[in-house]
Amino acid sequence: MNKWWWLLLIISCWMAAGAAMFGPRQDRDSSGAPLPDRVDSIVSLAPNITEILFAIGLGDEIAGVTLDSDYPPDAAEKPKVGTFWQPDIEAVVAARPDLIITLGFEQQKNLAERLRRIGYNSLTVNIEKVSDLFDAIERIGAATGRQQLANELISRIRTKLQQLASLVDAGPKVRVLWVVQREPLRVAGRDTFVNEMIELAGGENAIGPTVHKYPPIGSEQVIACNADVIIESAMSREDIENQRNRALQHWNKFKYLPAVANRRVWRYGLTAWTAAIRGDRDDCQMFKAPSFRELKQWNNC
Amino acid sequence: MEQLLTPKKLIARVTLALAVLAAVMFICSLIGTETVSLKAVFTGPGTQAAPNPDFEIMGFRLSRIILAGLVGAALACAGVVFQVLLRNPLADPYILGISSGAGLGAIIAVISGFNWTLWGRSPIAIFAFAGALGTVWLVWFIGRLTGKFHVTGLLLAGVVVNAFFSAMMMFLTSIAKSDQVYATIFWLMGNMMEGDFLVLWIGAGCVVGGIVALFFISPQLNALSFGADDARSMGVNVARTRTIAFGIAAGITAVAVSLSGLIGFVGLVVPHGVRLVFGPDHRQLIPLSGITGAIFLVIADTLARIIVAPAQLPVGVVTAIVGGPFFLILLVKYSKKVSWLK
Repeated sequence: MNKWWWLLLIISCWMAAGAAMFGPRQDRDSSGAPLPDRVDSIVSLAPNITEILFAIGLGDEIAGVTLDSDYPPDAAEKPKVGTFWQPDIEAVVAARPDLIITLGFEQQKNLAERLRRIGYNSLTVNIEKVSDLFDAIERIGAATGRQQLANELISRIRTKLQQLASLVDAGPKVRVLWVVQREPLRVAGRDTFVNEMIELAGGENAIGPTVHKYPPIGSEQVIACNADVIIESAMSREDIENQRNRALQHWNKFKYLPAVANRRVWRYGLTAWTAAIRGDRDDCQMFKAPSFRELKQWNNC
Repeated sequence: MEQLLTPKKLIARVTLALAVLAAVMFICSLIGTETVSLKAVFTGPGTQAAPNPDFEIMGFRLSRIILAGLVGAALACAGVVFQVLLRNPLADPYILGISSGAGLGAIIAVISGFNWTLWGRSPIAIFAFAGALGTVWLVWFIGRLTGKFHVTGLLLAGVVVNAFFSAMMMFLTSIAKSDQVYATIFWLMGNMMEGDFLVLWIGAGCVVGGIVALFFISPQLNALSFGADDARSMGVNVARTRTIAFGIAAGITAVAVSLSGLIGFVGLVVPHGVRLVFGPDHRQLIPLSGITGAIFLVIADTLARIIVAPAQLPVGVVTAIVGGPFFLILLVKYSKKVSWLK
């Protein structure tokens, strides 16, 4: 037998040995440990999950959060387990959690799957729409034995949403262009959380249905959309008025656009809207108006 | 005068390099975001009620270190082979479009939203592997149409396929959801995620088996480095050698890509570095490049794990930042020994 056949034989034996040693065991362990009666230690891998946990009274049980979890302020004091996009599996294990709660995107799903295989409990929730939020709160409440508090939170949010909706007048809807980034220009499309927020506040997305969730658009579409209001997503913590002045300068080239002609160009973060829903308006100074009716009033001041 | 490579010298160098690799892996296993007690690790996994966190953390860390070693070895050896086959010092494992094929496969998997695993690997890894091998086959097929292993034809086919698949990737990225885009971007930047031991075992079989097979044909690769005509005059079956070398190099690159995403620089710099220090004889260039590639990527990944802990850097960033200056130092120090630099 020549060396090539020997090599093939050894590789085949190696593969067979690996399948025998590691294959079946992985399948046996993949169900995770049974959920304990009481969850004392939770790792949250997303800021919105952290906020839900605090809201249903589980702040003390949180053993680890991602670096970007900064609400409520106590969340920033919790041990960190990596970033939202790249959680650190060593830090998660070191936190000794009874339960790890993740979102459903690739990096977090993989991590949850790996930890489930060695016996950790994990719960994956998807929050892309307002309705998903209620479902997530309900599931987190059920997994942690806080159903009552979860239901109360859901009804508080529903009430707040109804209050916000009642502020909206019945007149013509304000056409809103929500700008995600300026260069290249991308805006929020219809099938997004942002769109829900716009409609909730009595507006309508100035951009029609698109293939993309956050479509890139050109100057022609900007003019054609005839937006009454332009809102830019504010990502930095720089003074919001400075950001708004720069935004006004940028959009001045579209001077015939109603939003620009009437100086209705704003910069808000999504946190502004969520702050309004939470009801802690004082916490979010940059939030100037919970609805577009008030936005118009603010503009007239 | 340059001394000839003897079996004794080759074994001594490979053994020494393996010892350095073992030492580096051991040291790197002690470095991480969490402090791990070796004594506690040796007490075992613990029980279901009272598991041993040190044991679990060391398990994750070791699996990642082994993964980095395998990927580094595969990319470095594939780089050696592509450089000699294409007779191009700028060749790396991704030169024929493997990266864009794997990237396209990965983004298709992400956008499709598949929710299954195969041998513990996500659909991204499986699709990336299929995309990488499919691209290699396509480039090889187009290259064959231009003549029997015509280097220029292969390179041009690689460039065109690369551009086409890159455009497809950009289109799919533009219509993907933001979390899907991020998942793909992190994968494209090199995704050293702790692997299952079954995956590592299979990956090790493929990579080490491939490197041993390349070592078997290293005398023929030595002849090929003088050109096809000279190799033929030395009695080498050029077409067969090229086919075997190309197939194995593409195969281990596809395995590496499916394990860790796209990690640049290793396959380009490590072969040149080893060649500058030890010379161009493929009998030692292949094993030493493999081991050096493993050492290089294990160190780079350890740095990626700890520099901004508990966040992590993409390992491709570290390979470029660490490898670039290191390679330049080698280049300046040893350049006088290398004819093509004179």
